[in-house]
Amino acid sequence: MVEPQPPRPSVRAARRSDLQVLTDLRMRFLGEAAHDEPRLRLMPDARVRTEQAFPVWMGHDDRVILLAAPSEGEDEATPVAYAMGLLRRAPPILASQNVGEILEVYVTPEHRGEGLAAKLVAVLTDALVGRGAEVLRSAVPVGHVAATARLERAGYRPLQIELERSLGAG
Amino acid sequence: MEGIPIRNARRGDIPSLLLLWGAMMREFEEADARFALHPGAREYMATTFAAWIQDPTRIVVVAEERGRLVVGFAAGVVLAGNGWQVPVRLGRISDTYVAAPRRRQGLARRLAGRVMDLLYEKGVDTVRLAAAVRNEGALAFWRSMGWSDLEVVLERPVEPDAD
Repeated sequence: MVEPQPPRPSVRAARRSDLQVLTDLRMRFLGEAAHDEPRLRLMPDARVRTEQAFPVWMGHDDRVILLAAPSEGEDEATPVAYAMGLLRRAPPILASQNVGEILEVYVTPEHRGEGLAAKLVAVLTDALVGRGAEVLRSAVPVGHVAATARLERAGYRPLQIELERSLGAG
Repeated sequence: MEGIPIRNARRGDIPSLLLLWGAMMREFEEADARFALHPGAREYMATTFAAWIQDPTRIVVVAEERGRLVVGFAAGVVLAGNGWQVPVRLGRISDTYVAAPRRRQGLARRLAGRVMDLLYEKGVDTVRLAAAVRNEGALAFWRSMGWSDLEVVLERPVEPDAD
C-alpha cells in the first residue's frame, strides 16, 4: 500500500499578472522586517515604488522572482510565499565575480513550517547557478535566528557583518 | 602628542594607496580564503582609486607621516537608499586600513572619524560598512566607535562544503 504523501509546495516564476499579489507579499515582508528592526523602517511610498519596480525587475534576465503555493497541482492557487534573487557581476576584486544573491524570501505566517521557504530557496539557488553564479550570498538582519539557521543548514557560513551608525548620535 | 596628519588623497597617492590596499586584502585572505583576490584586482583598483579621487560623491583620505610616507587610508561614498527603506541617502565606509607598524596609535579611529565628518558634511546621517566575520579586531573596533550590527551576510560555494 502506498502511503499518502503530504502536499508538496508548488513554485513558479512570477508573471506580470502577479503584480498585485507580489506587491502584497513584499509589503508584508518589508513590514515584518521593519517591525523587527526599526533601522529598516519603510519609506512612505514604499508600496508605490515596489509596484513600479516589479515590472522592471521581471524584464531583467539576471533577476529571479518566484511565487509559491501550498501544494502541487493547483496552478491557480493563491501564492502565499515569494522569493527574489539576483545574479550580480561584481567588479574584479574578489576571485568569485558572479555572485548569486538571495535577496528576499517570505512566507505568510499561516503557511510557515510547510516547507515553502526551503523549496523557494532550492529553486532560486538552481536558477542562480543556472545563470552562472559561482558563490551564493544572503544578508539576514541580526536576530533573525531561524533564517540564519536555515541558511546554515543549506551550507551557508557567515562572511561579513553589516554595521550601521547614526552620525546624528554624536 | 600631535598625531600623524590626515588629508584628502591626491592622484600622486595612488601607488601608496595600492600598496596599502594590497596589504589589507592579503590580511583579509589570510583570515578567510573567501577573500581571495581576482588576478586583475590590483589593476582594477588603480583605475578605481583614480576615479574615486575625482568623484565628488567619494571621499578618500590618507594619513601621511612626515609629509612623505602614507601609512593609512580610509574611503567612503554617498549612496542613494534602496527606495523603500530608510535612509534616503546613505553613507558607506568602503575601506579603512593602517599599516601594521603604525597601529594602536588611534590612527584608524581618526581616519574613520574624518570620513564620517566628510560624509556628514555631504548630508548623510546614517553610515554603514561591512566587516569580515573573522576579523574580530575590526568588529571590536567599529563596535567601540558606536557602530551596531545590522545584518549578517552569509555565503556558500555553489557546491556546499561537507562540514
